[in-house]
Amino acid sequence: MGSLFSALDAAAQSIQAFERAINVTQNNVTNANSPGYANQVPQMISQDFQSSGGSTSGGVQEVTQDTRSVYADTAVQQQLSLQGMYQQLQTTLAPLQTVFDVSSSSAIPSALNQLFQSFSQWSTQPSNGNYQAGVLNAAQQVGSAFQQAAVQLGQIQASTTNDIQSTVAQINQDSAALQEFNQQIARDSQPNAGLNAQVESTLENLSGLANIQVLKGIGGTVTVLLGGQTPLVEGLQMNAIQAVNNTASNTANLGGAPNISIEDSNGNDITSQVTSGGLAGLLNVRNNLLPSLIGGGQQVGGLNTLAQGLADSINNVLTQGTTSSTPPYQAGSPLFTYNANAPAGIAGTLAVSSTITASQLAAANPGPPFVANGAALTLAGLDSSSPGPIQGQGFTQYFSSLTASVGNAVNNANTQATAQSQLVAQAQSLQQQVSGVSLDAQAIQLVQLQTSYQAASKVVTVIDQITQSLLTMIPG
Amino acid sequence: MENATQYGDAREYLQAARASMRQVKRLLSEPSAEAADESAALLRDVEVQLGCVAAILRQNGAKPHAEIRAGVEELQNEVAVLASFFAGADKMLSGWLDAIRSRRGGYTERGQAAPLMLVRKLSVEG
Repeated sequence: MGSLFSALDAAAQSIQAFERAINVTQNNVTNANSPGYANQVPQMISQDFQSSGGSTSGGVQEVTQDTRSVYADTAVQQQLSLQGMYQQLQTTLAPLQTVFDVSSSSAIPSALNQLFQSFSQWSTQPSNGNYQAGVLNAAQQVGSAFQQAAVQLGQIQASTTNDIQSTVAQINQDSAALQEFNQQIARDSQPNAGLNAQVESTLENLSGLANIQVLKGIGGTVTVLLGGQTPLVEGLQMNAIQAVNNTASNTANLGGAPNISIEDSNGNDITSQVTSGGLAGLLNVRNNLLPSLIGGGQQVGGLNTLAQGLADSINNVLTQGTTSSTPPYQAGSPLFTYNANAPAGIAGTLAVSSTITASQLAAANPGPPFVANGAALTLAGLDSSSPGPIQGQGFTQYFSSLTASVGNAVNNANTQATAQSQLVAQAQSLQQQVSGVSLDAQAIQLVQLQTSYQAASKVVTVIDQITQSLLTMIPG
Repeated sequence: MENATQYGDAREYLQAARASMRQVKRLLSEPSAEAADESAALLRDVEVQLGCVAAILRQNGAKPHAEIRAGVEELQNEVAVLASFFAGADKMLSGWLDAIRSRRGGYTERGQAAPLMLVRKLSVEG
């Protein structure tokens, strides 16, 4: 039979258990708005009566339980990762629209328009000094416009590279913080809701930067894998990643900036593992979109293709033309120059030849038959000739296709970023709703929601088709 | 004059459709089957409203109308966001359910998450 002291001891323990339960509730109220905090539930467990030995008997014991759902946390992290990517794309792509402006008033199409107008005017009076000077001036404007665009794109490329470096630094910083949290968790004998909240908040921040997979260990320590493969944090160890110039991608020797690669702590290339998060958005712009415009280690880039195509086509007509009206015919001089040794830098070096004078512009086509304004007429119609001189397209049309590719990328990023913000809100709201709910109940709720969304989604598909057909019915 | 009135009707239908879309956006900020069902009903209204716009335009023939075209384009952007939202939500919920399924029932021979058997609790007495 238990002694009086053991009964008093049991009562005292019970009071302490209730006190701890009150503390847990108070903690929940205090941390209601703390990022990453999940409600803790005090569970009172009755202890067995022990009828012999006078040991502690009866009473209750308090065990604090975390209501966090690991699946909800994963869903939130995945959505944050996608949101991070699309928001980063939005931010990084926005300055590109100043170079590739849809309006015809932007620098390159406007300069091209003036150049072809000047050719047209010159063709009416080939020996008119003012018209010849007009051609030279317009050509200088074209050179300046291309050079300016190349400088702007170079600046965007440099700033994207810097952003990649700072994002990698942030990822390493968050990894270091998680390693420190793991050390604290390993030291603490009791679960610490505040510390867990800090871990979750850091994980959410890290998710916005890259696609991570989180594995929870005993006591709440975390193992964080980048792309499900490369360990960033493993227990008490942290592995830093780094962004480096991928010199292997520069074998074509085009004179463009090499791609940026992400390497793990052993120097292995893990770029392909980065598929979402802000870092993925930056890498996509830096390694794919920008090289397709301004060139890189493996491609010449659309702007350089345009600059070279324009210069070569015009120079070709002028050098086959003549400046004299009777034989022996004097060949014309090329109008444009560029650095052919660096194909990915042509737009940046496109300029009017420093040696050309107005009188060296060849307006005539020696034929036979000789046409006094033949070369000038050919030049005036070059942009609208069919098939066009660049991949079957005219110069203005080719620039428009580059503008369209940028515009589509911006539009897509805007659409996805807006939808993704709503999805993050959904995931966070669901995270709250399923907190402390059994897996079966979670599943029922999720299936109901999915079925309803699928039904609504079908109506959206129909509405999309109707809007498409409406637009074809209303001419622009 | 008749055309102007009819285009006015098309504008009104378009405005109503856009108002419904705004309401759908508000409803979908909260994840619940009720809100989703209500959204689906509103989207069906939008479908009907746009069908009316199409009928009016068909009656009037193909004529440029900047205001209506801009309205439809704006609506198309909102539809694109909504389509992207539903696709993303479906992917998220499927992934979440797969995780629960594999936790509850393991994996099938093909390596997929086992189907979830949700049965009501039975109380057996005697």
